[in-house]
Amino acid sequence: MNRQLAMVLDLNKCLGCQTCTVACKKLWNQDQGTDYAYWNNVETAPGKGFPRLWQETGGRNADGSVKRGEIPSLDADYGRAWKFNHDKTFFKSNGPREWLKPESGTQWGPNWDEDHGAGAYPQENHYFYLPRLCNHCTHPACLDACPRGAIEKRSDNGIVLVNQDQCHGYRFCVEACPYKKVYFDPKRQVSTKCIFCLPRIEEGVAPACARQCPGRLRFVGFLDDPAGPIHKLVNEYKVAIPLHPEFGTGPNVYYVPPLSPEGIDDEGRPTGKPRIPPAYLESLFGPAVHDAMARLAAEREKTTRGEGSAVMDLLIAYDWSKNFALDDARTREVI
Amino acid sequence: MKTTVTLIAPPTAMQPGGYIATAYADRSQPGTSRADLEVQESTAGWTVALRWRAPQAVIDATDNPRQFIDGAALFAPTVKDAPWISMGTPDMPLEGVLWRADRAQPWRVSAQGLGSVQRAEAPAGWTTAARYANGTWQLTFTLPAFAALTVTRQLGFAVWQGAQSERAGLKSVTPGWINL
Repeated sequence: MNRQLAMVLDLNKCLGCQTCTVACKKLWNQDQGTDYAYWNNVETAPGKGFPRLWQETGGRNADGSVKRGEIPSLDADYGRAWKFNHDKTFFKSNGPREWLKPESGTQWGPNWDEDHGAGAYPQENHYFYLPRLCNHCTHPACLDACPRGAIEKRSDNGIVLVNQDQCHGYRFCVEACPYKKVYFDPKRQVSTKCIFCLPRIEEGVAPACARQCPGRLRFVGFLDDPAGPIHKLVNEYKVAIPLHPEFGTGPNVYYVPPLSPEGIDDEGRPTGKPRIPPAYLESLFGPAVHDAMARLAAEREKTTRGEGSAVMDLLIAYDWSKNFALDDARTREVI
Repeated sequence: MKTTVTLIAPPTAMQPGGYIATAYADRSQPGTSRADLEVQESTAGWTVALRWRAPQAVIDATDNPRQFIDGAALFAPTVKDAPWISMGTPDMPLEGVLWRADRAQPWRVSAQGLGSVQRAEAPAGWTTAARYANGTWQLTFTLPAFAALTVTRQLGFAVWQGAQSERAGLKSVTPGWINL
């Protein structure tokens, strides 16, 4: 039975609080060797992202063909975990104390260009938050790159896993993933990646990043479940689309693209054009973004007119239990 | 026996999966062009010494996901003339020993085809002595019992230069079995 678990993230609701990032990090990546690894991160778009320039350094060209990817630099692309001068700031008894600051030079980090965005202020400045995790692709570039067959795509739920007993730490998967969502643990000398919180899934509990999201912007379920939120948002309402579909890996994390207010001209009058350029969104989500945004805008209009909208009701998450449909009799609410 | 072996880069086109064959299609030259080999057999077992040029030694990568570690491996076929470049078959497995510069002890390794290498702790008495000086690695394996080599008397070896991001099938190897 080939089934695919998937996630939808409504970018109109993400406020960049990083609760998902912390929930994931606390659960899976606190050991030495994983300190720089964020299976889930939230980056500001437009921006260079995390790891830096990930959209340019993966193992796929814009036409989906294979190219040699790069392993990001720990300092320049991921950013080393910062160590602060706590002793000199808080515990020094003699002489002037220092302000709290990183002890070593810093070049980049998981949230380095937060809120920078793009566009001239105040006419057209804009940004939005882009939460990212492994896409558990239908055709995983990481799996294709592993010469040892250490990466498996499960048939019962489509989750992509690294068998760490089989992994010899060659890192072709890190190179090849066009989303740069495979990390190398240099202490244990193996690759690691998001496991879609498989142990939680097996207990009928949504992944930590989704369950902990205060904005209720994440939806989890099977793509082929017509009663679930994923099938509705992706296949029925067609308002959720994948990131960089042109890479050709068939990502199974989908995004509801962000609508944005109008820009203004030099006199402060609305221009009628959205602040986030549609062309930029197309560069992220492909041409399907335009139809998705048009449908979304139409549903918003219906709601404004008081007609009601099943799409908006689902996205607003009035009933949070509808965000998750794990098709498991044991599905339950657990933190 | 004592000889100098010209090494080759195994064809990347034969690597498992679709990525390496395409992404590294331009890799045709080995990172190490030749190596010195000295093999001695005695009642105490086998002693195999390798010597190769390595402009930069990499012995630690615990703080750098981009860094790969120097290494070398010896293999012998369990069945004479088993496929070497494609690392044996299930019917004709290879047995060997793998040294990596960050480890005090070698691994015992076996292979039944590309991408199939299994690592295990080496038997008692299997040791390596490695020394890096003047841009050259000198590595000696002491192997009291190396059954496959004793039976088939064929040996192949591989060298990985971490500084050139060599790992897995990106390596320098003997073109075929060396008959002892």
